[in-house]
Amino acid sequence: MKSAAISQLESVLREKKLDGTLLGAWPDAAASRVSTGLEPLDAMLAGGWRRGEVSEIVGARSTGRTSLLVRTLAAATARREIVGLVDPVDRFDPRSAADAGLDLTRVLWVRGPALVVELSRPAAIERAVHQAVRAFDLIVRAGGFAIVALDLADVPARHLRALPWTTWLRLAHDNEGRDSVGLLVGETTMGKSPRGTSVHLDATREWTGGSPQSRRLSGLTIHARAGINGHAIVSVAC
Amino acid sequence: MLMCAVVASAASPEALETVARACSPRIERHGDRAVMFDASGLARAIGAPRRIAEEVARLASAHGLEARIALAGTATAAWLLAHARPGLTIVEPGEEARELGELPIGVLKTLSGSRNTAQAAWGQGLEEVLAILARWGLKTLGDFARLPRADVRARLGALGAVCHQAACGETLVPLVPAKIAPRFVERLELEYAIDGLEPLSFVLARLCEPLAASLERADRGAVEVALRLRLVTRAMHERTLHLPAPMRDARVLRTLLMLDLESHPPPAAIDWVEVEVGVVPGAIGQGSLLTRALPSSETIATLLARLRALVGESRVDAPGLVDTYDDRSVTMTEFRIGSASRGPGATGTAREPLGPSLEPLGTPFGVGVRRFRLPIAARVALAHGAPVRVDPAARGLAGGRVLACAGPWRSSGRWWALDRTDWDRDEWDVELADGGLYRLTKNRATSRWVIEGLID
Repeated sequence: MKSAAISQLESVLREKKLDGTLLGAWPDAAASRVSTGLEPLDAMLAGGWRRGEVSEIVGARSTGRTSLLVRTLAAATARREIVGLVDPVDRFDPRSAADAGLDLTRVLWVRGPALVVELSRPAAIERAVHQAVRAFDLIVRAGGFAIVALDLADVPARHLRALPWTTWLRLAHDNEGRDSVGLLVGETTMGKSPRGTSVHLDATREWTGGSPQSRRLSGLTIHARAGINGHAIVSVAC
Repeated sequence: MLMCAVVASAASPEALETVARACSPRIERHGDRAVMFDASGLARAIGAPRRIAEEVARLASAHGLEARIALAGTATAAWLLAHARPGLTIVEPGEEARELGELPIGVLKTLSGSRNTAQAAWGQGLEEVLAILARWGLKTLGDFARLPRADVRARLGALGAVCHQAACGETLVPLVPAKIAPRFVERLELEYAIDGLEPLSFVLARLCEPLAASLERADRGAVEVALRLRLVTRAMHERTLHLPAPMRDARVLRTLLMLDLESHPPPAAIDWVEVEVGVVPGAIGQGSLLTRALPSSETIATLLARLRALVGESRVDAPGLVDTYDDRSVTMTEFRIGSASRGPGATGTAREPLGPSLEPLGTPFGVGVRRFRLPIAARVALAHGAPVRVDPAARGLAGGRVLACAGPWRSSGRWWALDRTDWDRDEWDVELADGGLYRLTKNRATSRWVIEGLID
């Protein structure tokens, strides 16, 4: 039984539209989830990414961030939905994505300048990031996209920290109540919405063959970690 | 009734229609080389039929047409005479049968080019009727016209009777006037020149709203919008937008024009504005009850325009694959909801996907690759032909010792091309001590190593 003070506080938060952190604020039906494209991860996330929220895929290089992103997009296009992909420094590879089952005709690809992030001037990167955030915002506001992804995986953390902290609040607010899943991809946590999910990735590389000539990379085994304390862990081979 | 037939020596439908429209609102098009119009009222404006014919000839000549012109009391007589005689032919009302009587009977073949008699069966049946008439020894339309029509019908059927009517110069079917294709255009001459886009947006709103209403009434959708701005310098600033789907929402049209003008602003103040739209017939879209609703074409068009204004014209669309073994090749294809395939890989551009169903745990699928469009040069140390250390030229990549590698996979292509787009290289997948898994390539011609992507 809630006390009167708690009920009053919750009603005030709802009036101000700040009730995102309240448990049970919205119905949590499976229909409001979007599959990640990986069954074990869907099971861990109680059905997948939550619609109307901004979630994150976080991990270091070669931990399967792009694989998970493409798998999520492919699952959405397989349901005949459309998806948006904002690519600030132009690193998306359509061929490998098509190999993973992504229907390219259902992808709206917003390409930033083809920068060598590792060599570019900071001003150029910051401009590309600002454009990407604006493009993400425009696609979310347009509505009707199952997934809107902002791939910041190659943007150094210092450029993301330079963004005003309200940026992430604004993006979360814009997506609130919509049918879209906002998905951020990066090396570190950025700004998921209160009920969004951060999925932290690690991966082990699977090599087969004994000699360099016979050896081949057979795939990645992704270890995904989610939840408030990061206790829920699942491993998926890619 | 006075009908005028104009038959051009070469196909020029636009010029023919222009000439006919200049003379009469009641015109009938017959293919690319002929037009018929009702010249009845022209006598009061121009004078006698000969003057009318001369005026039509002058107009045709002014439009570069070499034409045969015939004026007669019936469309059939005018049609046959225009095809049979060069220059101008004028027939006084009531004299059609006598004038036609001298024409060879073969001129009836031209009726198959007429709109009224263009049915597929007509042409074949006409050949048979003419062959029979030739066997009967008839040479001219006059010979044929003198036969009793009832007997002709009894022996040659309905088609024979129609030919007999034509030989007598009688009207076969009434003229059906062609409608003028409506132009959807709005213009406004401004009292004071305006400078800047904000005041122009109000002007565009005033023009787009009646345009949208006209499109609604005519059940048409705009697929192309042309904006013409006359500047105070007397120059014209013209922009044409090709819309991804038919639309007729005034706010969307104005927004698209404004977004385009933000990217391509006029160089001077504006004193005259015109908006014209190219249209297609309206279509009713039917959504599915079983799938989630997709954004409307208006929403997508506006979104694409906004994104293009933000990041550039060529940087927004759907990704596409190039038919080559060069993995670096990529292209953009138009992002259209209507053209989206009905399932993964249905466009034929993508390789066969693994399928829409979820893969069970442990089954591998395509590993993601992050492609460096501008490859990063690297120094690579080799041992027994395989990389053992990679030092990238970029600060952000640490590089280091190679923990594992696979390769080389050799590929080459376009060696026959002279445009320096050929490639010949070895690819390696390498796992470095910095934690990254990279796609490393060696150009076999120059022996230079670059990092082309990150496996992720």
